[in-house]
Amino acid sequence: MVKAQNVQKNFGKLKVLKGINLDVKQGEVVVIIGPSGSGKSTFLRCINHLESIDGGMVIFEDKKVPAKGKELCELRSQIGMVFQRFNLFPHMTAIQNVMEGPITVLGKCKHDSRDLAEELLAKVGLADKAKNFPSQLSGGQQQRVAIARALAMKPKLMLFDEPTSALDPELVGEVLSVIRNLAAEGMTMIIVTHEMGFARDVADRVIFMDEGKIVEMGAPEQIFSTPRHPRTREFLSSILRGYEKMTYPEVG
Amino acid sequence: MTIKLTFFAIVFGTLIGLFVALAKISSIKILRWIGGLYTWIIRGIPLLLHLMFLYYGLPFVGIVLPEYTVGIIGLSVCGGAYIAEIIRAGILSIDKGQMEAAISMGMSYSQAMRRVILPQAYRRLLPPMGNEFITLMKDSALVSVITMTELLRAATLKNATFFKPVESFVTAGILYLIMTTVFTTIFNRLEKRLAISDGD
Repeated sequence: MVKAQNVQKNFGKLKVLKGINLDVKQGEVVVIIGPSGSGKSTFLRCINHLESIDGGMVIFEDKKVPAKGKELCELRSQIGMVFQRFNLFPHMTAIQNVMEGPITVLGKCKHDSRDLAEELLAKVGLADKAKNFPSQLSGGQQQRVAIARALAMKPKLMLFDEPTSALDPELVGEVLSVIRNLAAEGMTMIIVTHEMGFARDVADRVIFMDEGKIVEMGAPEQIFSTPRHPRTREFLSSILRGYEKMTYPEVG
Repeated sequence: MTIKLTFFAIVFGTLIGLFVALAKISSIKILRWIGGLYTWIIRGIPLLLHLMFLYYGLPFVGIVLPEYTVGIIGLSVCGGAYIAEIIRAGILSIDKGQMEAAISMGMSYSQAMRRVILPQAYRRLLPPMGNEFITLMKDSALVSVITMTELLRAATLKNATFFKPVESFVTAGILYLIMTTVFTTIFNRLEKRLAISDGD
């Protein structure tokens, strides 16, 4: 469904992506993990050309994603994106945020958009917050509105850019469970995350990226239990050590 | 006359300012360059000089404009340059993520500007805009040099006839104060209203 062919990206002289190849099938959930600075977020942003690419190409449903213009807008409208910092429109209520895409981009009437938005807010468990402004919602609630907003476009593919990294720990669960439900419904998704437990549960395939390259790719059991590449092993064990450090003192 | 002049200067100045601001942040180089040139020249030369040039200079190259037109052009062109900077700063103060969220939904640049960026920017613009509008109102006094009878010139004329400088100028001053006060009040109300509808 979406294919990256030798995608390259430079920030000045720094090569952030050194030729990424990836083929995501319809209904597949791909989770990208890796240390910060590995280029995983940049790669995600290259898929809908939020970040222009300096080499290679992205193919979405057999069509090359163009660098700009109307066609790019059209492709973007079919790819939902959820950001680390939610990026809800602060001057609109929750329901207006969700209605905005269908009205402005798809040209749907207000009435239908409202019905759809109500349905989606209920789906993410926020039916009662429709009239609240983003500033009146918790981070977890804001992120769930952002997911509803992306879903309102009826996307064929969803991109999640560290959707829980900006959340207080106790709010992470509610967002992850919404994403889990989407996975269960068969939504095609590419997710960049640091939540390893979640990655293990939800992914059909896990990708480990480091220094602008895909180091290792495979089924979650394989990556998490028997990583082949030393870099992957090192990364995973450093993360596990981090967890131990966090949990042990509290137990005592 | 002062009120009329200020009103038109604000309307046209804001329009000019919006376009120049959009030009200056555009991805098209030539537009950026034109916008930069505009603010550079207009802001760099005194308004008084603009007005004198338009009124006394242009007739020599065959363009004769009535003083009223000159007054409006001079004030709005000049105000536009300052307003452009205010609007540009307002747009740039909006988090980059807002534009990204908008275009990732499939909005075009202009849709994103209209629906997402400008409505947010304009809340932040109100205080400096109010300031600029008051400046424009007071600057309208400068058109007296091109023989337009606005408030200051009216006072000068009164003084010339009756030779009562204290009365004439104090009256004019009070009238300016009344106008700016009305203005400030309106803007304060607007700010409060928007703050409420913002939800924060």
